[in-house]
Amino acid sequence: MSPVPAALVLAALAATALLADRTITVAVIAAGLLAVCTRAPRGRRWPYLLGTLTGAALLFVFSPLFARYGGIVYWEGPTVPVIGKLDVTSEELSYALFQSLRFAAVGLAFAAYALLIDHDRLLMAGGQLRRSVLAIALATRLVPTLERDAAGYVEALRGRGVVVEGVRGRARLLSPLVAGSLERSLNLAESMEARGFGRPGRTRAPSPPWTSWDRVAIAGAVLAVIGGLLWL
Amino acid sequence: MALARVERLTYSYPGAARPALADVSLEIHPGELVCLLGSSGSGKSTLLRALAGLVPHFHGGSFSGRVEVAGRETRSVKPSDLAGSIAIAFQDPEDQVVFTGVEHEVAFGLENLGVPPAEIHERAVEALERLGASQLAGRRTQDLSAGELQRVCVASALALRPSLLLLDEPTSQLDPEAAEGLLDLLTALGCAVVLSEQRPALPLERCDRIVFLEEGRVAVDAPQAEGLSWLAANHPAFLAHESVQVEAEVDGNPVCSVQGASHAYGDRVVVVPDIELRRGEVVALTGANGSGKTTLAKLATGLLGPAAGRVDLRGRASYLSQDPGRYVVAERADEEVGLGVDGDLDRAHRALRIVGLAGYGDRHPRDLSSGERERLGLASVLVTEPDLLVLDEPTRGVDPERKLELAALLRSQAADRATLVVTHDLVFAADVADRVVSIEPLREPVRA
Repeated sequence: MSPVPAALVLAALAATALLADRTITVAVIAAGLLAVCTRAPRGRRWPYLLGTLTGAALLFVFSPLFARYGGIVYWEGPTVPVIGKLDVTSEELSYALFQSLRFAAVGLAFAAYALLIDHDRLLMAGGQLRRSVLAIALATRLVPTLERDAAGYVEALRGRGVVVEGVRGRARLLSPLVAGSLERSLNLAESMEARGFGRPGRTRAPSPPWTSWDRVAIAGAVLAVIGGLLWL
Repeated sequence: MALARVERLTYSYPGAARPALADVSLEIHPGELVCLLGSSGSGKSTLLRALAGLVPHFHGGSFSGRVEVAGRETRSVKPSDLAGSIAIAFQDPEDQVVFTGVEHEVAFGLENLGVPPAEIHERAVEALERLGASQLAGRRTQDLSAGELQRVCVASALALRPSLLLLDEPTSQLDPEAAEGLLDLLTALGCAVVLSEQRPALPLERCDRIVFLEEGRVAVDAPQAEGLSWLAANHPAFLAHESVQVEAEVDGNPVCSVQGASHAYGDRVVVVPDIELRRGEVVALTGANGSGKTTLAKLATGLLGPAAGRVDLRGRASYLSQDPGRYVVAERADEEVGLGVDGDLDRAHRALRIVGLAGYGDRHPRDLSSGERERLGLASVLVTEPDLLVLDEPTRGVDPERKLELAALLRSQAADRATLVVTHDLVFAADVADRVVSIEPLREPVRA
């Protein structure tokens, strides 16, 4: 599938997951997106899947503790200052499941976008919006770039016998990662300027035309959003 | 008539204590190949940036004098408008890649220049072919080796068909064969080329003129023969020289042996040759880009696990990655070095002294020059006093005089450990190593 229809389909699925009010609809979308993400190389997909699924799981576990509604109480806990009495009800669990599935669906749509879409062709399809699309594409690529840089830091430190472990060890890498990405972005901007970026009269390398599948996908994306708004 | 003219250029980066370029004047004529030399931090990269108009437009700072390229004064024209007449490939290929696809990357400049769409693909492919990199066209930039990426960056500049091509250490990550191929191409190109190099043997053979910078000033600007004589008298390290081997006290105990080993990167398996490293010896590992040198180095130090075969390591191993200056973590140089010894700052200061950075302990690592960062990286591994020391391309961006110092340093410490140096720099390999192991490139990719 061409990158523009593919990006639209992913955006539509994320929007539908946010608009729909049935748990089963959101669950189906999340499961479908999870299946799509498993097509990415194993080495690259795990940070995205781990981050999204862990976030969804934490949302499911903790949000019932802080919510205050429902009549069928499954568990009663201690009273915590400021928060009040901890409990878990049937309704809170249902709502937590719904919200965590929504979180997972949106996160997985982004993961599929970052992992599977050809950002170069998406960028070239930007036409008159090319500057904005370039900014978005470069910002999106920041995540995998940081991921690679982090791996480089861990390897460089391991090479000196320093083991990076735990949240504290990894947190120590945050500041150099940010400093490194700032250096990189300056170098990249300089390189782009030296290659004529921003000059009027630019052209575009020809890209393959859309197939009928691409058109069907766009129609499906529009229908999914309307369906999510009205019926799902 | 000169294609480019620099007149009394003095330039300081914002906040810098001293100018990066001081009273520089030179001319570049159509079709000539100029070899730009100098120590690390002497102003070579800044001069290239001034010729491209990036200094002062992109960097700011204080600028006096005049730079004119193709009849246009660079101060009155934006660098993006000079693109096409001028093309530049920077030192760090990793930091100049915009796209994920190789062909799109090469086409980027052509699109910006407004080249007719029907010609873009053809010109991009042609530039890759001229660099011997046409097989990379369908690859993703993040999957390329450093040398492959460097060729893509040079191809991106070449595709613009400039009248002045500026190349900042374009062979720093190329194997000798690829470096020679690039020099052949530059010689036959027909446009003016200014080539800054720290592996100057080949460029010095092929160039028309030599410009040597010292602390931002032009120390010599002369035709090839005259420039070579000047180098022989003043900076002989920049010329090809006989290597002086120092006898190492080899006790014969193997520190590391690799036998029948391979490593799987996803579905791609890299098979590495057998090697045994003994205490007291320095071994240089050379070979073509992508032949598996880094994989072998990482297997030897335990950073990668073997998919098959055996790796026996007796003692502690330290590994200095390519471009170590990129991976600095601490806020002070001594703390950075101390990381490998549980923060022992006394040992860190000793290591800094060994690499010539005494007094730099309180400096922020990112404020150091690229050459100083390289030495900081070396101190960070030397401080751990390893039984096996592996250095991956330690001479990238290091000038020939510093390379000789580095070789002498490694030789002086050789008796304490086994040392493996992965390098494309055959001159450095000859200077530093007791023996050279060359890896043949894989003829066919192996799939898991």
